[in-house]
Amino acid sequence: MLEVRNGTGETLGVLFDRYHAPLYNFYSKLTGDRTLSEDLVQEVFLRILKYRQSYQPGTPFRAWIYQIARNARVDHYRKTPRHIMFEPEMAPVVMPKDSAQQSEETALLHRALMQMPEEKREILVLSRFQELKYDEIARLLGCELGTVKTRIHRAIQELRQNFKQLERGLAPREAGPAVVKTIPPRRFGNEV
Amino acid sequence: MKCEEIGELLPDYLQGSLKAEQDELVEKHIAECADCREDVVIWKKLSLLPVEQPSAASRARFEEMLQAYQTGRNDRATAGVERAKSASLWNWLRSPVGAVAWSAALLIIGIFSGVSAGNYWGNKPTRSNANQEEIAAMHAELANMKQVVVLSMLQQQSASERLQAVSYSRREDQLDPQVMSALVHTLRYDGSVDVRLAALDALSRHGAQPQVHKGVVDALQEQQSPLVQVALIDLMVEWRDPDAAQRLRNFVQTPNLNPTVKQRADWALSKLN
Repeated sequence: MLEVRNGTGETLGVLFDRYHAPLYNFYSKLTGDRTLSEDLVQEVFLRILKYRQSYQPGTPFRAWIYQIARNARVDHYRKTPRHIMFEPEMAPVVMPKDSAQQSEETALLHRALMQMPEEKREILVLSRFQELKYDEIARLLGCELGTVKTRIHRAIQELRQNFKQLERGLAPREAGPAVVKTIPPRRFGNEV
Repeated sequence: MKCEEIGELLPDYLQGSLKAEQDELVEKHIAECADCREDVVIWKKLSLLPVEQPSAASRARFEEMLQAYQTGRNDRATAGVERAKSASLWNWLRSPVGAVAWSAALLIIGIFSGVSAGNYWGNKPTRSNANQEEIAAMHAELANMKQVVVLSMLQQQSASERLQAVSYSRREDQLDPQVMSALVHTLRYDGSVDVRLAALDALSRHGAQPQVHKGVVDALQEQQSPLVQVALIDLMVEWRDPDAAQRLRNFVQTPNLNPTVKQRADWALSKLN
């Protein structure tokens, strides 16, 4: 990073190799939008180039890069008001190794995550997927370590509730197609 | 203990940073309390969500952005100062694009002078041997230059440039040992699957060379990408390598081997036996 700070472009390539997939996952899990996520990742690296002088040597680089990543997202939403809701085509790519039941579960989990308010989702993504330590998150969000832990606990509780609700909601729908084949639609049923 | 108290410990429990006795407290509570247990379960389930890979275009966009940024900066720097301008020209000549341009220019000069020398001296039989030698020397020089270009391009950050380097190397029927070992190195350690596959393809035509042969066969054990693994296995079958069967038998034992790759290796073994 020091080399980037002092102006050698090639080293940014190394940083890109190391961070572009994690950053992409941070954004895609947060926004559920792949194209936007790729755009934002590009924006982060452009900002690293532009603002590299603002990096303080000796401070953790990861925290700095996530700070930039959060700001880039906030600025993006300031410019373009959000209208993004979760849509099925944004569901995560399901790996072929997954069994049918597992991929069903993955899809539900993804929906449950996307239903959460963004701050809660962000803290889960940072701690679970980006594997940031709680004190790193505290520094990043500018709050106490204790607050981070409380927020994470609440976020997990909410995710669990969302997931359960979806699971319950799914049960009748799962039986749906099979029933339709054998029984005529209900409105005819009423006439009989 | 109450759920709220456990809730304070839970995040640390999930990251595995609790002391042993607190760990036990949480586990005891989880065994009794369904809600808290499900909190732990959902946290673990999050690992089901796949790690997504950005598209390949993302890297190319980054390279473009970097280049545009640097060009912009160079332009600004050279605006007033003549010396800086010559420095950037020098940098350009030293860059891979410059290197290709250089060698192309030298190639043209070489061919031109070679042809005109041939025409000029061709009528005088006494000198023709000397000329042929000279032309041969020029050819050797050119081949050498191409190798330097290939070698320097294989070192590039950009995967597309490394791909280009691999395809340049395929134009030669005879591979220089240095280029060959660079290609073997690329096959083993290049970060991009595409580049590794291209290198394997280029090397597959030189299987008769013991160095290539060994490099390719050795590469199998280290490969992580199923695509490259399958390509390597196919090539080993094609070459009918004497110790391929032994290697494949060892390879099949690798833990967590991709099922498709394993199937291919089993197929290859049945072919070889």
